[in-house]
Amino acid sequence: MNKMILYKEWLKTRWLLLGILLAMAALTFYCFLNLAKVVEFRGAGLLWEALVTKETVLTEILRYVPAIAGALLALGQFIPEIQQKRLKLTLHLPYPQGRMLLAMALYGLTALTLLYALQACASAWVLSAWVPGELVARVLKTMAVWYLAGWAGYLFTSALCLEPTWRFRVLILLVAAGLLRLLYLSGIPEAYNGFFPWLLLYVAASAGLLFAGVARFKEGLQD
Amino acid sequence: MKRYGQIFLGLSLVALLLWVLPWLYNLITLKPYSTPFTLYSCTVHDFTSLDRSEGRGFQFVDTKGNVYGDEAQPTFYASVLASRGTLPDTLEGRKVTLEEIEQNAVIASSDPKDLNRTLPPVYLLLESVPERLELKDPEDALVSRKGSIDIVEMASNTLREEKTRLFNAALQAEGFVYPARYFAGKPSHRKAYDEGYLVTDAENKVFQVKQINDTVHVRHFPHADGLGVHFMLITEFDNHATLGYLVSADNHLHMLRPDGEVVRTEVVFDPHKEDLLLVGDLFYYTVKTSTEKGERFWALRSSDFSLVDTLERPYPHEWSFPGLSFTSSNDGWVKPRI
Repeated sequence: MNKMILYKEWLKTRWLLLGILLAMAALTFYCFLNLAKVVEFRGAGLLWEALVTKETVLTEILRYVPAIAGALLALGQFIPEIQQKRLKLTLHLPYPQGRMLLAMALYGLTALTLLYALQACASAWVLSAWVPGELVARVLKTMAVWYLAGWAGYLFTSALCLEPTWRFRVLILLVAAGLLRLLYLSGIPEAYNGFFPWLLLYVAASAGLLFAGVARFKEGLQD
Repeated sequence: MKRYGQIFLGLSLVALLLWVLPWLYNLITLKPYSTPFTLYSCTVHDFTSLDRSEGRGFQFVDTKGNVYGDEAQPTFYASVLASRGTLPDTLEGRKVTLEEIEQNAVIASSDPKDLNRTLPPVYLLLESVPERLELKDPEDALVSRKGSIDIVEMASNTLREEKTRLFNAALQAEGFVYPARYFAGKPSHRKAYDEGYLVTDAENKVFQVKQINDTVHVRHFPHADGLGVHFMLITEFDNHATLGYLVSADNHLHMLRPDGEVVRTEVVFDPHKEDLLLVGDLFYYTVKTSTEKGERFWALRSSDFSLVDTLERPYPHEWSFPGLSFTSSNDGWVKPRI
């Protein structure tokens, strides 16, 4: 059954995923093309200097990409379920609804993680040609919060889609806005290092909102 | 699961309100507050503050309320006074020239936010004795690692093996214990000369590393051993009076002379919590430290850094709404704090 669910999710999202992949690849390519030109014209020393003496990790152009990708994927995955009333049908399938929802969410999170990993690896690979591992690690640690915002964007958008009542939708929206504000509060490199594990736990815990929304939906609560 | 969702959202909203409401209240109610620029005067022999009261023009007031013009700070405004032809030719009982005054004007500052953040263990390395005299952009960088300090050529991102070997041999010969803890330097070519970096090792001993003719030289300052130095500033002032400032474990500011002598001052401040502003001239250094509660001033004699006078200026107490915040003006980290 898991395979069927995953296949269903794949059919629903494959073009969207391809679009997100291409958009992320294009933006990442553009970001590093700019840096490559800086290196070509002014030398790699300028990248070192910027990374060491300025509040930058040089990849700020990619800052909001993971969050947008996460929200888009959630919309692509769950809007059709809501709009075409497919969720009701899905929940009546002879399979535990919790596991079904978990499979759907894990599909989305895994797809996002793969996209983020691809981008992070490409960034590390390109940067390591110009700067030492210590500075590459600094860039990746800073980007990790953007990916966390991507997972948060995915989970909260999914929760919003699955939530049947407006009252809770507004509350979810408020909390999501606060969390995203917090995740983009500082542009200082490695500002979130110590707080990151707690934020990760919080974002993971927010996955429970999907199940809570479905439980309310099953009870017939709907605006 | 329904209950879990309610609890999760409820707790999140409480945290959100604790964060947003006090921030909003403080944003609306807090008023800007500025303190007057204050320096110790070599003519008045007291702290004098710039008085910005309406209708009083450009005037200084000492701690007893006496009012003075520019002549209260003849060294700080030396160029202005010289342009008017009113610069005294004798100060503190000795002949002075504009050139001498300008050469001995020093300004240094530090901000806790520059320290309380995660910094990369990479330090750009200038050539201190450039071939064509002017300092150039660095070509190599020091990368501090667990058991060595490596020198990497930035253009190619490759280790300069022989240079690294010689440098680390020099470090070990001076008794350096890895890993390095703190680097203080100004890796910019926009300065008159370069003194490299002041570095503390794992035992808080102080060293200077400086590149001369493509070789990195190491110098140990034994007089700083045992002080538990946890903060340093490299000065690189025109007058070469000091090599740097050190702060010991008991938070006393020490002056590191170019000959390696370490002079303990009466200035006490925690660089991780307090701002520092040091303005010095031929005769006196005015050191100001400030926290959220107020400012403290010390006047030191420039010749031997002995204490001349002190001044405290508390800020007016302003109530701010307590709440949850995630950033601070004292550090560069995002974390919850009350």
